[in-house]
Amino acid sequence: MDAATTAGSPPPQADRRGEIIGAYALPVMLVVALLAQFIYAPQETAEAVKTGLSNGTIWALIALGYTLVYGIIELINFAHGEVFMIGSFVAVSLWQVMGVTGDSSGLVIGGSILLVLALSMLASGSLNVMIERVAYRPLRNAPKLAPLITAIGMSFILQNVGLLWRPTPDSAPDLIASQETFFTIWGVGIEHSDVFAVAVTVPLLATLLWFVGSTRYGKAMRATAQDPDASRLMGIDVDRTIALTFVLGGLMAGAAGVIFALYNGTVRFNQGFTAGLIAFTAAVMGGIGNLKGAVLGGLIIGVIQAISDSGNYLGVHLGQEWTPAVVFGVLIIVMVFRPQGLFGEETREG
Amino acid sequence: MRASHLAVSGCVLAALSFGVAACGDDKDSGGSDSSGTKSLTIYSSLPLQGDSKPQSDSVVNGVKLALDEAGGKVGDFKISYKSLDDATAAAGKWDPGVTASNARKAAQDKTAIAYIGEFNSGASAISIPVLNGANILQVSPSNTAVGLTRSQGAEKGEPDKYYPTGKRTYGRVVPADHIQAAAQVTYQKDTGCKLTYVLNDKEVYGKGLADQVVSAAKTQGLRTVGNDGVDGKAANYRSVATQIKASGADCIFYGGITQNNAVQLFKDLHAANPDAKLFGPDGVAESAFSEKIGPSVEKVTYITNPTLDPKLYPPAGQEFFKNYKSTYGADPEPYAIYGYEAMSAVLEAIKAAGDKGNDRQAVIDGFFGIKDRESVLGTYSIDENGDTTLSSYGGNLIKGGKLVFDKVIEAQS
Repeated sequence: MDAATTAGSPPPQADRRGEIIGAYALPVMLVVALLAQFIYAPQETAEAVKTGLSNGTIWALIALGYTLVYGIIELINFAHGEVFMIGSFVAVSLWQVMGVTGDSSGLVIGGSILLVLALSMLASGSLNVMIERVAYRPLRNAPKLAPLITAIGMSFILQNVGLLWRPTPDSAPDLIASQETFFTIWGVGIEHSDVFAVAVTVPLLATLLWFVGSTRYGKAMRATAQDPDASRLMGIDVDRTIALTFVLGGLMAGAAGVIFALYNGTVRFNQGFTAGLIAFTAAVMGGIGNLKGAVLGGLIIGVIQAISDSGNYLGVHLGQEWTPAVVFGVLIIVMVFRPQGLFGEETREG
Repeated sequence: MRASHLAVSGCVLAALSFGVAACGDDKDSGGSDSSGTKSLTIYSSLPLQGDSKPQSDSVVNGVKLALDEAGGKVGDFKISYKSLDDATAAAGKWDPGVTASNARKAAQDKTAIAYIGEFNSGASAISIPVLNGANILQVSPSNTAVGLTRSQGAEKGEPDKYYPTGKRTYGRVVPADHIQAAAQVTYQKDTGCKLTYVLNDKEVYGKGLADQVVSAAKTQGLRTVGNDGVDGKAANYRSVATQIKASGADCIFYGGITQNNAVQLFKDLHAANPDAKLFGPDGVAESAFSEKIGPSVEKVTYITNPTLDPKLYPPAGQEFFKNYKSTYGADPEPYAIYGYEAMSAVLEAIKAAGDKGNDRQAVIDGFFGIKDRESVLGTYSIDENGDTTLSSYGGNLIKGGKLVFDKVIEAQS
């Protein structure tokens, strides 16, 4: 935790009570809202939660990139959604070059997925660190608005790159028989894509949390996040540490790109814009700068989207056209009552 | 000195914010007429980026072909053609700001005599009032939304709100959606639909068409459910598809355009409802859709589209398909022939105006006066609303990534 919360005199009793209510009331309200819907329509809700959680893993992986970068240099890397899109594009291109299709043998498919996952993560990681080098590092000491604008600029530039690369939506090969049922639990069909999304995401998250929490590099990242100048005095190479943070964010975005391509089966040059917006929202909802918060924020938004998409909440028929409004409505409620996000104070690097 | 700097920077800021291109000399701007000049300009405004690019490029080719065949002139008037793009990369489709800016660009050009576009009805709802104010003839090759020209079946205030001068300046060479909706419902009934779930993409075109389909279904005795809007920016549509499954619908109709994520939508609808037949309108009748949905979705997809089999067109139409292929080395996209006809109709209007071919009002009158015109599409007239009297719609299947003409649909009323 950061130093700010330990400094100064303890807050008065009433404030603390308010804080505790603030901290727990909102998650409890969200759970109650979900339970109510579950009682109202058990089967539909279970389906929606399943879809929401697997979609949410993609948002979570992208959200990590936002939150890592914000945690260390307090910059919203608006180009991050596009880094994710490029990850998807690289993956689809690699499969096309290798000629792997859904009819290839299981061994070829499995091997190609692992290889493509590694290469796409590498591509997105390299791209992210290049963006940092070109558009953010020269502005490290500039007013905060300057890198914000260059970030938006990079986002548009990369969208145009995507547009030149693939002007129309392209299909990713259906290597995992994405929408076939893997097994059924309480009447809810768990599809291959759900299992795939979780199977890729969980080890990545665990590795990332371990890396940031338990390694020397992670410690350097956390130190840089707390106080770059003091870190420099302690012998930490701050520039390299920041670049490492961008690499990590990019790796996660690349993995999300591969999952997205296989999960949905279609990639588009502007998929990064919405995905970036949703993931950024997830990071803010979870508490920006907080890694676990970003993951939980991603999953929560995934579930809210899926329930709203299915069009019937406690008898209120809204449908997918209202989903963005519903998601951001919930975000506004969360922000009003808990500006620091659901799961975190404004700590850096969780 | 300081004041002029301020004025210039204010102007630059305004231009950046609103796409205004009118800084400086006021004399040339707004509502000027092309009278007196022998060099005329015809603009087109189409989405040339993103998923729309293949279709729009093909329409531009059709437009150029018509102008080239006319020798680039009508009588004494030399005609030049300028193609504008109403899309942005960020949107991946037509953009309201760019569309308005294109219309203003034409409105401020003294030589502008006509404007071909927009491709999308929602975009035309933005450019029509601007061009109406400048009294420039606008002809769309592809707009089908009913409310742009007719009040029957339209939203409140349509179409009058698009024509601030009270005079009509807009027309189209493609049959509107009240005809497509009737054909679409007939097609659904012909393929055995009992209960159709209706979705739309919330745009002027998609929502308008979906409403028309619901109403035509009522008339023709086909049950419908839904008419829900879908989010064109969503990552996927799995929950929507699951909800449709629960409704028991055996057919699903999507009123909307490819650019609102139709490829992903159709894939997800089919995965959750493998036995359901999927229906789409002319908004998805393009290679950006047909080449991408994949072999299993192809088998259950049915598309209505005003473009028919080349064999069903008069000799001039068949000639168009041949000339297009020999000029551009590829088969045209469905709307190319309408691009060709939009330009031809504009040239005919200029011709009809005779010596007044550089008079905007005379050219508008010329267009609305089109009667029994023998065109590549067949013989048609333009009615007082600016609509064509053509009414044929084709049913199409998709095979091997290509639209394959199925049959002419005789819509039941």
